[in-house]
Amino acid sequence: MNTKRLILISLIALGAIFLSACSGAPVANNWHGLAADTEHAYISGGSFVYAVDLKTGSEVWRYPAEADSKLLFFATPILTADGQLLIGSAGTNHSFVSLDPATGKEKWTASFTKGKGAYLASPLVVNETIYAPNTDGFVYILDLSGNEIADPIELSGALWSAPSTDGSLLYVTSLDHNFHIIDIATGKTAPAIDLGGAVPSSPAVGADGVYVGSFAATIEFIQPNGSHEVIATAKNWIWGAPVLDGDLLYYADLDGKVYSLNAASGVQNWGIQPDGPVVASLLVSGDQIYVGTESGTLFALDREGKTVWEKESGGAIYTTPVAAGDLILVAPYQAEIALVAYDTQGKQAWTFAPEK
Amino acid sequence: MWDTIIINPMTNTLLWIYDMLGHGPHLFGLAIILFTILIKVITWPLNASQVKGAQAMQELQNDKDWQEIQKKYAKDKEKLAQEQMRVYKEKGINPFASCLPTLVQFPIIIGLYQSITHALSATPFDMLKLARAIYPFQNVENIIPLNSKFLWMDLGRPESIQILGFGLPTLAIIVAITTYIQSKLTMPTSTNPNDQSAQMSSMMSIYMPLLLGWFALNFASGISVYFIVSNLLGIVQYAATGRANWSNLLPGGNKNKKSSTKK
Repeated sequence: MNTKRLILISLIALGAIFLSACSGAPVANNWHGLAADTEHAYISGGSFVYAVDLKTGSEVWRYPAEADSKLLFFATPILTADGQLLIGSAGTNHSFVSLDPATGKEKWTASFTKGKGAYLASPLVVNETIYAPNTDGFVYILDLSGNEIADPIELSGALWSAPSTDGSLLYVTSLDHNFHIIDIATGKTAPAIDLGGAVPSSPAVGADGVYVGSFAATIEFIQPNGSHEVIATAKNWIWGAPVLDGDLLYYADLDGKVYSLNAASGVQNWGIQPDGPVVASLLVSGDQIYVGTESGTLFALDREGKTVWEKESGGAIYTTPVAAGDLILVAPYQAEIALVAYDTQGKQAWTFAPEK
Repeated sequence: MWDTIIINPMTNTLLWIYDMLGHGPHLFGLAIILFTILIKVITWPLNASQVKGAQAMQELQNDKDWQEIQKKYAKDKEKLAQEQMRVYKEKGINPFASCLPTLVQFPIIIGLYQSITHALSATPFDMLKLARAIYPFQNVENIIPLNSKFLWMDLGRPESIQILGFGLPTLAIIVAITTYIQSKLTMPTSTNPNDQSAQMSSMMSIYMPLLLGWFALNFASGISVYFIVSNLLGIVQYAATGRANWSNLLPGGNKNKKSSTKK
């Protein structure tokens, strides 16, 4: 083989390696999902779902036992009244599984695998029926044994957030700017409402309607009959779901501004600027409001928006903090730890870093 | 640095074209096609220099004096290499001129692939990164999310058509075929059995279709759209010069031409 031929083959091989290494197959990456019950915290942290003991911060189980390159978990797992932990995969295997919260063992004999896209959204359980939104634009309908009991509801665009319900209607948001209202009894879908921007989070349900934030930097109030109006604006994308607590609505934007609004009157009570963009939803627990920022700080605010305490978590906070008993759980992203627990005074109780 | 110079400008250009088109179904695929045409226009001088470089090399290989030199120093490779460099210098030939456009394509391909996956944002974290990359003049609220559907494809995923339960990678096959056609058309006809550039071109016409076909098989189908459009434009550009060697597409076409030329 002459030198030129050798150089040519080497160049092509190097090019292939270079291209593969730099671009490669798409590596799905996202921040963690986080949920908790009275005993465990549950983190969907990519290859595994972890259960963590709330008393000690130690790992109780992980699912699956061995990493499977086709399974990825980012959605927030949800707990059902009959003792299941439900979560779908965002990997190339689009499994939707039910786990035993105590042991991490699969409860269904077979995963539900009909969805064509990723499960980035949590499911919603209403009247023993599971509604599981998928990025393929469908909401899949299962019973609590994992059987598909109705045709999936075809919406539009990727569905990234859990549906909300007032008991008779399902409210589903979509990245394609649309807001959908579905009658649970009949399965009928009302005409979609264009909110002017992608909606990556769930609606907050109030007595007379729902509140939705979007990339149009607005909060819309939408009534069950479909009438809607903008009741507040922000400076940048509203990513996290607004939180309704009594008459007060709390939300934040990518500019890092946190707002308190009187939901009925639309009058802003206060607006503060912590230390960075806010992607996660706010957590209202007890008499405090918890705000996690991209800068990695967890702020505890009082109801007037004044900082009670703040803690550096060690990574960007994109996951909505969760209250579990006396603990506030935070899952920093791309940090050395996957989970940190504080008490309501801001004292760190424990941290959790999964063993490799 | 890579993001600032390559990925972000490419992503924003793609999004700008998509926005201009009206950001509906199938339009991101059309945006990729228009983007490919734009890249072709920008790299037109490079491609022209490739054509010229290939022609100069071909003429040299058929040059009687050069063939004499090759015969004379057939057993002295070092001296032959020295003579080769001297002849290149005398005739003003840059031996790398024909390779440069191919090399330039690599960062474009990598950048385009990353731009496509970046723009399509499969996860919230990808979307957040995209939000940071978009230039302020873009009408971002209207653009996002991009509609990844184009004809029967999802541009963010590898393509295949299900036939009798088997996924036929249609685009990968078309990429391999068009790459083969393009390389064969541009392959110089040589009467010199010692013509190393012709040997290299011959090898390229085998390896490149396999390489790009493999990329098309494994990566987002948006990159396959780029390959196909780029190849077709390359074929048209070369055919427009009137030097396309269509006989190379036939089995033994190059040999037939060689023998007929010898006569």
